[in-house]
Amino acid sequence: MATNIEIEPGAALESALVTTESYENFQEMSSSLEEIKNSNFIPSTTDEYLDNCNNLDNDIHLNCSITSTNSKDEEYLQDEEWLSKSKHVFVLSSAGKPIYSRYGNEDRFASYFGIMQALVSFVQADDDSIRSIHAGDTKFVFLFKEPLILVAVSKTEECTLQLTAQLNYVFNQIASTLTLSRLVKIYEQRRNYDLRRLLTGVDRFIDNLLDFSENEPAFTLSAVQCLPLTSSIRDAISAAIIQSCSKIKNVVFGILLAKNQLITLVRMKKYYIHPHDLHLIFNLVQASESFKTVESCWAPICLPRFDSSGFLYGHVSYLAEDCQACLILLTVEGDAFSSLSEAKQRIVERLRRGSCLEAINESLASREESCMEVGFPELRHYIYKSKSTAQFYQPHISAPYSINSRRLVNIYKQAHYKLHCPTRPLKLLFERTPQDAILAWDTRGFELYAVLEPLIETSSAISTVGRLLNWIKKREDKLFHLNAPTF
Amino acid sequence: MTTEDSMDDDVFESLEDTVAHSNLQVKQNAYRSTPSPTGYRDYKPPAEVLKLCETDTIEECNQTIHKTILLGDSGVGKTSLLVKFDTGKFQPGNFSATVGIGFTNKVVTIDNSRVKLQIWDTAGQERFRSVTHAYYRDAHALLLLYDVTNKTSFDNIRAWLGEIREYAQDDVVIMLIGNKSDCGSDRVIRKEDGERLAREYNVAFMETSAKSGLNVELAFMAVARELKLRQSGNKDSNKFSVQDYVREETDKTPCPPCST
Repeated sequence: MATNIEIEPGAALESALVTTESYENFQEMSSSLEEIKNSNFIPSTTDEYLDNCNNLDNDIHLNCSITSTNSKDEEYLQDEEWLSKSKHVFVLSSAGKPIYSRYGNEDRFASYFGIMQALVSFVQADDDSIRSIHAGDTKFVFLFKEPLILVAVSKTEECTLQLTAQLNYVFNQIASTLTLSRLVKIYEQRRNYDLRRLLTGVDRFIDNLLDFSENEPAFTLSAVQCLPLTSSIRDAISAAIIQSCSKIKNVVFGILLAKNQLITLVRMKKYYIHPHDLHLIFNLVQASESFKTVESCWAPICLPRFDSSGFLYGHVSYLAEDCQACLILLTVEGDAFSSLSEAKQRIVERLRRGSCLEAINESLASREESCMEVGFPELRHYIYKSKSTAQFYQPHISAPYSINSRRLVNIYKQAHYKLHCPTRPLKLLFERTPQDAILAWDTRGFELYAVLEPLIETSSAISTVGRLLNWIKKREDKLFHLNAPTF
Repeated sequence: MTTEDSMDDDVFESLEDTVAHSNLQVKQNAYRSTPSPTGYRDYKPPAEVLKLCETDTIEECNQTIHKTILLGDSGVGKTSLLVKFDTGKFQPGNFSATVGIGFTNKVVTIDNSRVKLQIWDTAGQERFRSVTHAYYRDAHALLLLYDVTNKTSFDNIRAWLGEIREYAQDDVVIMLIGNKSDCGSDRVIRKEDGERLAREYNVAFMETSAKSGLNVELAFMAVARELKLRQSGNKDSNKFSVQDYVREETDKTPCPPCST
């Protein structure tokens, strides 16, 4: 497969995102918070926070408001609707206490949680761990991450690895809410703790995360999509953020996003954000109504891949009434709210002067061109991921997938699995079905997934892909965030 | 896990209107300094907003900001109360827990002068307590909410008052609010229970409904009035009391379901 491309499209020497392989070891987490704080000689607030929390735990001054119902566990076994769901997700403590269920009230089937816990601990007794059970077309996938057990019961076509990855996201969402250190500490102190007390409101975020990870290629690819903008505008936006925050210490990340697409990401020198953490932020913004009703919001956010032991503090706000881009300024300082509020005002002023708000609005309002419109009649849809920047691009979804985009998502998920299957990974895949043809290509610099007309000749599929890479290369400035600006 | 209210009572709608229009006026928080907040090239704010900007710019310069915090258990309706006050809207059946603290600025008019309220809407969940505690200290006023249909949220009020005593300034203005007063049949906390608790702790009290709008403006305006008076210095001499003010204002209009 010869192409005349020297450097793959969308590549950059430095990326603001940590670049990863998709099915990497999920356990790996770094601890960057202490480092930042120590380098600035600022007393740590994390310990103080933990102490406060512990005090609250030990003397419970607020009554728990979780009500338990005494209905029969078996009720759900007769519930057709509950049974027909294509994917259930459960979270329980290692002692078997229910924490979360995607559908239904978890208190109503406490006995199921008991069975799940028994399965995990039975296998664990032999110093082994249960990963999955396959029964017909149903997969039971287990993830045991101290102190929680996560279980997916799925009838979807997703493979075990992809389901495990989704369970990992759920775990990270919980860790992001409480920090991993606190989560572990809680269960060290009381094995039978009812974690739901601390997680009120989080189920909404987990629900959204699961829907999100089922439908967005970003999760499968461990990458993010950028809002198309000319590089001069994107640079001007980054510069506005950098200049406005220049006098504020310890701002770690400045993130601007809209419609689940990244506009820019400014980072502190030496620090990078992991795409998985960025996905949690996207999810937070997407699932939270409260950010939209107030002018700005101040929230503790733990990014588990960045540092699972402590909180960053996020100043979250939408730019302006009619420019629905969301700005997140993350700092390690718990008392920086007012200075970041002022910085946000300055950023908006600068962006307005530079006509950047208009540019963002225009890009948000304009529809991405479909493959047909840009001169690839045999190409129905594609996803291009640049590995060095952990970013991807996909065009507008057009016929025949505009009605059933789930089908397209499944094609991509399966092709992705075949390229990354741990036992037998492929470099190049061309597969034809009566409905469509898929060409998937994994190189050192990029991954490309192209869905083509089913009757296409192999040779013309290859030439189409070659032309497509050239086409992307010409537009890489606009489609990707190529430099990694720092504060 | 929903705040959806099952009943709609027309009586309250008209009540709210009389309270709002006879006594109190709220001006829209205008975007003063910038001609276009949107980034759209040809956008101009409506004429009445522009007029406001012209007349009030000078006065605004020497304005102090009064900080007001909304507190109470998760799901009692803090955000709904604020959104109703800020925008006049109520979204039924759309419970979304607040993450951290939300900040809203609102300018209200009291006796022909403008008072700027900075309202902090806090998350009710326990896990955010340590973040919100840090802001108690700076608060001038606290609106402490419970849900009249949720006994736990009422029982927790004592614990909340304990926290307030621990973290907030001694002279902070406190107002106890029983929200969701429109939910007649689901009510489990009587108005007298709330009144008794308020008397015990010597704080102001009223029942509100973010859904119908009952007393929503009154709650914020009473606080604004108290803060303005304190600021103008006659804090000790003229003992304006929020309690008395609230009692006067609420007594003007009888409240049918509460008296049953």
